[in-house]
Amino acid sequence: MNGRLRASETGSAATPAGGAAGGLRRELAHAPMAAGTVRARIGSWRAYALPAAILLVVAAPFYWIFTSSIKVPPEIIQVPPTLVPRSFTLEHYLKLFRYTEYPRYLANSLYVAGLTMLITLGLSVPAAYSLYRLRFPGREAIRRALLLTYIFPGILLLVPLYRLLTSLGLLDRLFGLVFVNVTFAAPFATWLLQAFFTRVPQELEESAALEGASRMRTLALVILPVVRPGLGAVAIYAFLSSWTEYLFASVLIIDNVRYTLPVGLAGIIGQYQVDWGMLAAGAVVMTAPVVVLFAFVGRAFVEGLMEGAIK
Amino acid sequence: MRRRDVLTSSETLLGYLLVAPLFLWIAAAVAYPLVDAVVTSFLDVGIIGTGGRFAGLANYARTLQSGGFWSAALRSLIWAAGSALVQTVAAFITALALNRSIRGIAFFRTWSIVSWIVPTVVVVIIWRWMLAGSIGVVNYVLQALHLVSEPVSFFGTPRNAMITTILVNAWRWFPFLAIIILAGLQTIPREQLEAAAVDGATPAQVFFRVTLPLLQPILFVVGLVGTLWALNIFDVIWLFTKGGPSDGTTTLPVYIYQTAFTAFSMGEAAAVSVLMAIMLLALGLLYVKYVPSSFE
Repeated sequence: MNGRLRASETGSAATPAGGAAGGLRRELAHAPMAAGTVRARIGSWRAYALPAAILLVVAAPFYWIFTSSIKVPPEIIQVPPTLVPRSFTLEHYLKLFRYTEYPRYLANSLYVAGLTMLITLGLSVPAAYSLYRLRFPGREAIRRALLLTYIFPGILLLVPLYRLLTSLGLLDRLFGLVFVNVTFAAPFATWLLQAFFTRVPQELEESAALEGASRMRTLALVILPVVRPGLGAVAIYAFLSSWTEYLFASVLIIDNVRYTLPVGLAGIIGQYQVDWGMLAAGAVVMTAPVVVLFAFVGRAFVEGLMEGAIK
Repeated sequence: MRRRDVLTSSETLLGYLLVAPLFLWIAAAVAYPLVDAVVTSFLDVGIIGTGGRFAGLANYARTLQSGGFWSAALRSLIWAAGSALVQTVAAFITALALNRSIRGIAFFRTWSIVSWIVPTVVVVIIWRWMLAGSIGVVNYVLQALHLVSEPVSFFGTPRNAMITTILVNAWRWFPFLAIIILAGLQTIPREQLEAAAVDGATPAQVFFRVTLPLLQPILFVVGLVGTLWALNIFDVIWLFTKGGPSDGTTTLPVYIYQTAFTAFSMGEAAAVSVLMAIMLLALGLLYVKYVPSSFE
């Protein structure tokens, strides 16, 4: 409802303009409500046109890969392509799970991403509380160092991290991947939590302190429940960043038995003849958890992103 | 007074205590490896990750004398600049489109970044399939619209592979950057826009005189960070082209990877990493110095 001005504040009615400035038109509509509603209704589908077009650009390829995964092989490579599948089959999924190592890769990926998520939470939640709720000397410097860490290009650490994990005996171990994934996820996660921690009213903490609760108790019982959406957003970010990681997974894991999905699936791309149906099925199975998780915390994630960006 | 001192010191202690695990982790996994990279760049290390004799500047000399390094550096710049340009422009338009108070806008904002959150390997499969030569849907559409007479080979020539990987990468990143710009858009005080409108400015004038100048700082950051991130991209390029055809998409990250794990010379790969870090730093400084972050 923001953007609607009271009728008493009318100025000159803004001229409608399309394109980039169209969003401003609503903001600057000085017409009184009654006259404005009709115009808003006419303009409303136009207000949706561009967002819908953008969503289409992002989502259409996913529709295409999904439909390809359930078409029978002749239909997959048919020209002209069929927008709506004429056939339905699960053979590509069955092939993927029966004749390739895909289930094993899936298990490895789930293990690495799950553990990455837990450790990232364990590191970033206390750190965010400390950096964004407590005052102590050096706080600013640490915050800035964190920012630098997540802008820092991971490729520059490829050689030294490979050496480090070799000397720690973590080469070709799934935990080695967890170690690397946490390194890249935790700084960003801490920064993302800032938006949620700074939202907590000071009074909540003060009243808990007055009642004699210790700081840790306050954190656990008062603050964490308030920042719960943020915890979800960060947990998902850590999980997903690990779920997608290819570079280190391809270098640090040697034995095929321990491949994660990105490396395993990339290997399947290269094998024998390109089996588009099976690859499509592999892509769909890999995308499914992302979409499901995002359905739950996507909104909190985007909100945290927006709040964090302007601080 | 004394009570307050006690309080602050306990707060300080707790503050350090809670941030310590993350701090130590980053120190072990980022700071130490950085130092190690510099050290390794002066050692004669092959594939065995440890040991190696002191090699002086041999790794640097070899790198700086090889044509491969310089062309990879140039390709990196082209690739990153292209990515940053395409994705920032697309992100800006998207941010404006999503900056409306209409019902359900949160849905569009949330789901528009789906291309950013799916795994790279999925992105690569999707686009390899859609961009395939004779059976790809993109070529079918282009031909149906008579935009091209025969199927385009999207990864066939160095130039095409470069453009294609840039576009796919931009497709992946623009929604994420749009959300960042959108955050900046929402900080613009409504009063300023209204005041300008009351003064009789057209929406276009408001946009160019009020919105754009106020957005400068955040566009600046998105441009800088977007470029840095683009310079860091390995997986998209590698999974599409392996750096080919004829090294046409061998950017610095691909070059580092190949030097370390195909040519098996860790020392040299470390030297390339150090040189790349210096380049990035120089770029960052130039950018900060010459690109205005806001109109004074």
